[in-house]
Amino acid sequence: MSSVAQRLREGAGAVGRRPRRQMVGDVLLVVVPPAGFLVASLVYNNQLLLLTMMVYVALAQGLNVIFGFTGYLPFGYVGFFGAGAYGTALSVHFLHAPIALAVLLGGLAGLLVAALLSPLLRLTGAYFAIASLAAAEALYYLISNPQLTAVTNGPYGVNLASVYNSGAAYLAAVVLVGVAMLCVVWVRRSHFGMSLRAIRADPLAARLAGVNVVRARTFAWLISATLAGLAGAIYAWAVSVFYPEAVFDLSISVFAIVFALFGGVGTVLGPLLGAVILYGVYNYIGVSQPQDFQLIYGVLIVLIVLFLPNGLLSIRLRRLWRGR
Amino acid sequence: MLWLFALIAGVLFGLYYGLAALGLNLIFGVMRMVNLAHGDVIMLGGFAAVLLFDHFGVNPLITVLLVIPPSLLVGYLTYYLLGRRVQRSRDPEMMSLVMFFGVSQVIEAVAVIAFGNNEASITSAVFGTRPFSIAGQGVPGAWLVSAGVGLVALVLLFLYLYRTSLGRATRAIMSSPDEARAVGVNPDRISALTFGIGVGLAAIAGILSLFMIGGTTPSEGVDLTVTAFAVIVLGGLGSPMGTFLGGIVFGLALMFTQTYAPVWSGFAPFAILLVIMLLRPTGLLGRTVRSV
Amino acid sequence: MLIPRTRTVGLAALSALLTVGLAACGAASTTASSGAPKDIVIGTLYSGSGSFANSSLPEFQGLKFWISQENAGGGVYVKAFNKKIPIKLVALNDQSSTTTATTEYEQLVTQDNINIFVPDFGSVLTLPAVTIAQEHHMLLFDQTATGSPLFTPGNQYIVLCDLPLSAIWPDPLAHFILAQHISRVAILYGANDFDATQAATVKSVLAQGGVTPVYYQAVPTATTSYGTLLHDIAATNPQAVLELGYASNDIPFLQAVQQGGYHFGMVATAFPGQEFTLIENAVGKAGLSYTYTYGVPPYIKFNNVSEGLGTNAFIAKFGHGNIANVSFENVAGYNTGLIIQAALGHATKFTQLGMRAALFALSGHFTTLDGAFKLNSEGGQVGELLPLAQLFPTATGNEIKIVYPSASADHAPVYPAP
Repeated sequence: MSSVAQRLREGAGAVGRRPRRQMVGDVLLVVVPPAGFLVASLVYNNQLLLLTMMVYVALAQGLNVIFGFTGYLPFGYVGFFGAGAYGTALSVHFLHAPIALAVLLGGLAGLLVAALLSPLLRLTGAYFAIASLAAAEALYYLISNPQLTAVTNGPYGVNLASVYNSGAAYLAAVVLVGVAMLCVVWVRRSHFGMSLRAIRADPLAARLAGVNVVRARTFAWLISATLAGLAGAIYAWAVSVFYPEAVFDLSISVFAIVFALFGGVGTVLGPLLGAVILYGVYNYIGVSQPQDFQLIYGVLIVLIVLFLPNGLLSIRLRRLWRGR
Repeated sequence: MLWLFALIAGVLFGLYYGLAALGLNLIFGVMRMVNLAHGDVIMLGGFAAVLLFDHFGVNPLITVLLVIPPSLLVGYLTYYLLGRRVQRSRDPEMMSLVMFFGVSQVIEAVAVIAFGNNEASITSAVFGTRPFSIAGQGVPGAWLVSAGVGLVALVLLFLYLYRTSLGRATRAIMSSPDEARAVGVNPDRISALTFGIGVGLAAIAGILSLFMIGGTTPSEGVDLTVTAFAVIVLGGLGSPMGTFLGGIVFGLALMFTQTYAPVWSGFAPFAILLVIMLLRPTGLLGRTVRSV
Repeated sequence: MLIPRTRTVGLAALSALLTVGLAACGAASTTASSGAPKDIVIGTLYSGSGSFANSSLPEFQGLKFWISQENAGGGVYVKAFNKKIPIKLVALNDQSSTTTATTEYEQLVTQDNINIFVPDFGSVLTLPAVTIAQEHHMLLFDQTATGSPLFTPGNQYIVLCDLPLSAIWPDPLAHFILAQHISRVAILYGANDFDATQAATVKSVLAQGGVTPVYYQAVPTATTSYGTLLHDIAATNPQAVLELGYASNDIPFLQAVQQGGYHFGMVATAFPGQEFTLIENAVGKAGLSYTYTYGVPPYIKFNNVSEGLGTNAFIAKFGHGNIANVSFENVAGYNTGLIIQAALGHATKFTQLGMRAALFALSGHFTTLDGAFKLNSEGGQVGELLPLAQLFPTATGNEIKIVYPSASADHAPVYPAP
């Protein structure tokens, strides 16, 4: 706890210090990652890999908003991803919405599911983590249920071939990365973010200081879910045909959590670096060592945690502290 | 009498689910570590039973006893090699989750190399093919054996926690590690032992899973971990009795929907979990904690 | 705390990392020249682990066997260049994950310059390849993915090689039930595309014969405990019980039948024919005796073939003379190779649509150890029908015999089961 309070103080200090350089830094943080992915698509043409990486960046950052700033870990984060994918699919099928609108409606679907599930924020720690997982599983079984075939096409899956456009989907993902970075930068800098961190450090004290705890948490929860919904929407658009299990796959949650934690949650850059590096390494192993794919990746993660137990960005933090 | 059979089946499966989740609850309660590899340990227990049965004809009930010493050893090693280091990180609950995700991947990969990808099982004839009659319902013998082993494990765990000094020390750490340390409890020793017991309980559940869920494959770990987590959260973290109650609720939800609306039998247990969590945010028998 | 300078450094490092990492991913690939290529590159995925591994790996072995056979003879004959060209295989491991499979399919198509695009086993893992194949104008040599969303009227870039569409599978099974005058039928099926399609076919064929199932329910694909379901099924007094699932459903189902001491006139499950050794090991000899399943190669034999090895020759070469060493997936993977061989051997132009045209020309006039190759207009397989098989106990285990339709039967059905 003391380290949280310490970071809070330093954070407060940083807001006052060098406002202009910080603004430049913030703008770079929002602009450079999407630009990087734009450039990357010119030199490397496995666009689906890059797109999936961007989706994981958005998911890791979305998770960062709720987990990094409030300490609530939604294990069932993939539920919003799936809700976004199906929100988009249903918008295309039933509303005949143009795809851009359908993607936004996918984000809205994530937001609505989160609003519906907001009572879960009464739970804490592992209880919250597992309850959100249960919600995601329940949502999957609901959507894939043969009795709802008329609405969701049940277990038979979704076909969005009519709106398929790989280039446009890629650009949408680039924008999504920018939006995700913007959200986190904003949360980090704003009063809202400060109150979130105050809540995390000591909820009772924060409440006494006049912070509306429930409202702040709920707001973070909705932002986080909307990002996942948009990620799911764009992923659905990019792959265009999928079975329900593909967008409710629990490993999507696990990957997003592992990427965010590896980079360092509560920071702006950590989840981005975590997703780019770990997902890059994942694919590199998959292509170069297909035989021992799972083994190497598993060993790597164990080693990372053992030798870098506080996340990637802790290296720099440690050095800075020592230097002081 | 469809409901009566569903009731009996729900309770028997509940005791099995309770056993399958018990070790996870102990490890979380004592160390605040999220063992995502729990389901993979269950899987390994299943393979131990199959191999011993196939090659040496060992009855699975004997294997239940045989897996205990190696489990304790594995638990000790895991704690001292991996667990302790993670426990000292800034956020042990979450970093342990990431690490055990890696461990789970490694176990699955090694299991594939060692045992192949095929489903392994022991013919259910080991426990007889004639069902036993309970309240006029024909219940497979294997279910009774599994539920019985679950009950015995629960009783032994209770005796250990409440009647031995090690057990009392374990409970002291569960309720407050700092205070326990202050009164001279060695948390490392207790944690290592608890890890061993947790692994052992999972391995035993794995042996029985052959008869309850039809066999074992290297890839089944994740699903089992999810179910075990649902059960311990339902019952209440840190409460062994609650784990069994959670298991029974889970089992009843499954069996009653299988009877009256099979297509909803995936949905119902999780929906019921959600409802119960909203009514009792710390599970059925969890201690209430102050929260905002 | 981060200060702006380190953050900028971090971003620069990130961009550098992206570029380096991607360059590493895209390393080493052969370039095709305008004339005959140095080798024919086949790109495929397999599941080295996870829930599809036990089907995917044997299929992959079958394909590799075909490649080794061809390469031993100097390569595969390509008509467009009128010569034999060696085959090179690029295979990635998707670990049964659709997300991973998606990026790896794209990897094959965009980085590895493949000539022949072969997806992984089954509908779930093949589906992500469909869009990619269309986008990059690659013909997808679909091995065993038979689900309905894979085949759409506008899509020219898919042919189903090794199994009929799943809606056709249970046709003989349903007609057998009618022929035996079985009127009380219970159907339990998995809530997934593959199983639900089969269940719907059985139901509609039975309806034509005036039979309405006494029990018709779906359960989640993840279901592994069948005791309670069986108890409820038994309460409807069925003569025939059909469980349509994956192997991971069939095993606990058949075990539950044994555990509960149930006896039905007819029990049919989907996979014992395709994964006989696996399922017999798991449920024991008694658990399978007199049950029914889809009859698949190598249990249906085709020795008079127009391409590749016939059934007996394949058993001799691949299975060292023992049919127990040969699974359906082995045959399927090998047969995929034969379809590729036929496409290359008959196409006058070495293009993706050229190969497709060649296969459509062969459709209906072409037989392999997997049966008669016949495509519908969407590239779906409508030949290679699956007759009904029954398992009969022998001294050592069970034997799979075709029992219906009578034209292809090599044994009379035993109904009701003793």
